[in-house]
Amino acid sequence: MKYSGYKGRVLAINLTTKKTSTIEVTDEFARKYIGGNGFAVRYLFDMVDPRMDAFDVTNVVAMMTGPFQGINSPTAGKYYMATKSPLTNGYFDSVSGGFIGAQIKYAGYDGFLITGKADKPTYLFVEDGKVEFRPAERLWGKLTGETQEMIKEEVGDPNLCVSAIGPAGENLVRYACVITEYRAAGRGGVGAVLGSKKLKAIAVRGSGTNEVADPEAYEAWMQWYKEEAKKVPGIAVGLPTYGTPALVASIGKMLGAMGSYNHQTEFFQNWENISGERLKKEFWDKDTACPACPIACSKVFSAKSGKWKGAISEGPEYETIYSLGSMCGIDDLGAIIKGDSLCDEWGMDTVTYGVMVSFLMEAYEKGLVTKDNTDGVEFKFGNDDAMIAYIEKTAKREGLGNLMAEGSLRASRVIGGGSERFAIQVKGLEIPGHSARALRGMALGYSTATRGGSHHDPRPTGEYAGASDRKAVEGKAAWVIGTQQMTTIGDSLVNCHFLERLLGFTLTQKWVDMINPVTGFGYTLEELTTVAERILDLERAFNVRTGIRRKDDTLPRRFLEEPIPEGPSQGMYTDEPTLNKMLDDFYALKGWDPKTGVPTREKLVRMGLEDVADCLNKSGISC
Amino acid sequence: MSVVVAQEKKPLIRFDIKKCAFCKICELSCSKYHYKKFGDSISRITIIRKGPLMFKCHICTRCEKRFCITACPTKALSYKGGNIVVDPKLCNSCGDCVKACPFHGIKLHPENKLPIICDLCDGDPSCVKDCPKGALSLVWLPEVRK
Repeated sequence: MKYSGYKGRVLAINLTTKKTSTIEVTDEFARKYIGGNGFAVRYLFDMVDPRMDAFDVTNVVAMMTGPFQGINSPTAGKYYMATKSPLTNGYFDSVSGGFIGAQIKYAGYDGFLITGKADKPTYLFVEDGKVEFRPAERLWGKLTGETQEMIKEEVGDPNLCVSAIGPAGENLVRYACVITEYRAAGRGGVGAVLGSKKLKAIAVRGSGTNEVADPEAYEAWMQWYKEEAKKVPGIAVGLPTYGTPALVASIGKMLGAMGSYNHQTEFFQNWENISGERLKKEFWDKDTACPACPIACSKVFSAKSGKWKGAISEGPEYETIYSLGSMCGIDDLGAIIKGDSLCDEWGMDTVTYGVMVSFLMEAYEKGLVTKDNTDGVEFKFGNDDAMIAYIEKTAKREGLGNLMAEGSLRASRVIGGGSERFAIQVKGLEIPGHSARALRGMALGYSTATRGGSHHDPRPTGEYAGASDRKAVEGKAAWVIGTQQMTTIGDSLVNCHFLERLLGFTLTQKWVDMINPVTGFGYTLEELTTVAERILDLERAFNVRTGIRRKDDTLPRRFLEEPIPEGPSQGMYTDEPTLNKMLDDFYALKGWDPKTGVPTREKLVRMGLEDVADCLNKSGISC
Repeated sequence: MSVVVAQEKKPLIRFDIKKCAFCKICELSCSKYHYKKFGDSISRITIIRKGPLMFKCHICTRCEKRFCITACPTKALSYKGGNIVVDPKLCNSCGDCVKACPFHGIKLHPENKLPIICDLCDGDPSCVKDCPKGALSLVWLPEVRK
């Protein structure tokens, strides 16, 4: 290939026929879609009928890399997974730390497209262009840590990279994740789709290498990074010292915007008990990092005393402290660490699980769920035993766990009694710990995000930092579009979004300057922005074909009608007329139909997606 | 009876498990220095993780016993200037040195199949230089041979 950072081929793997084929990655395709997010959404749009059930044999799981995997660029030690989600029914991607992304490159591929369904539990072993479908019956039912160890032992390589699902994925828990080492491609149920295909794990190693287009310019950029990163407090001090739990103090205490008791409030009185400072002081064991990342924001924490003494986990991250902690009214970090490690081991998303528990706790306290439904358990806020016990039950779909495995939107439809109002989700995806009421951008962002309640499209960081006034309505649509463009490019390079503090919360020349030495694209900021819009429009087109329209771009009723009742952000929320005004601005700027939220033909053609417009028309959708 | 004799100083890349964050930047720095490419299969240092807190560093330790030299059937390996040196003309790529090293400090290069062993990057090891956590350091110990 003319451009660097690519192997020029993607491996299509059919689990039904146990056959593989390679798809060529051309220069033109690479430049148009970059990698990761861009590659996956193009392949999935072309390969998947979005109207089919996520667990249908025809669904595809993309495991992708971008041009940055396998080199030593900071924060690029990741891999990217995408599928049609069993939780949201839409296009869904999940990015995780893990050296397996680099190994896919070293093995000679830019990614895998996994389709079909194995007749028996299987794991994939990919080594330098050779693919084996290996039996996984003895791994079925095993936790994610043990699964990885057993495969490493079988292959005889302690350094082997393995991505595995847990029992939650096997049992089609709609928010089952994929675990590599101790990190998760957490959200949206990619693990459940792998489970539906009876694929327990993917192990990859390669003896190849990856290179950059312009080593001198790349080295100069690395030096620039090293100097400039020192000047950014979040990257230089906050994340390395405390990791993301540092946010408990800034969001929970200073801003009063950390959802608590299923968002009945956003000011958690006992914030100090679950703060990053306390974690570091009393629970910290060591810093860990995603591959090639000098920031090392990840930490191993363990409970040295108390009720959960001995609990150990890499994590919890801020989102998990929110979901298993403040949301459930739990202020014991030991319980949160225990819950974090159990969710990883059983293989499910901590954010959705915690928000699901908090939803049930509110339903229980309101009398919509009773002891008859909970096997006699007092499902009240603050009950850490219940939060812990139902991880396994959910993974096995036992008793109430069977309902919990469906996520809060589906559960609210079963429970009824107006509980949909306080199911804290958008498009079926539970909302993480960044307030839709205290941050106007997140209100519009969650509403319009392809994934729904995700804090990675858009990002809250710029509003925390004051780069955009968190209360402003005017100009917010442009801000949100800008941050979504940035995260989309990040996910296509498969780089961590934490670079935003250095390179810009929206796309800037600094992003361009990072990409060009590696790839040799010679992008301008304008072309990069077009690539981002192209990818976002494709995601939207995929979702439009599943039936998503403007009416779905909204928030839980609680957020639209109930102001934050107390604390520093007291009184804040975005009501429906305000959201609608921001949505009007948003669609106008995007070039999407303001009535339906469908991308217009004019916009799609401008993005080089005429075939996508034709496809929508053929499906009976006017654009 | 063996006599312990202190000769010259010998180098050691010392690994601090408490500081290591398992980022593997050392591996990529090593391959970049030696081959101007990035890849762990051509790195002379390897970090292994077993469990949340157990990390191991695999690299040539310049050990007293020189298991690799003893194991080599073609006498292709020798110890010169603090490094194990490979004579490519003598090496038959049998891999006996790889198996003999209890520290897992030797790999065969995936293409030319010659042993690759830490050579301290001409005295200024790039793994030490690039480790963001200061987990690696170059120390000089008294050379002790029996």
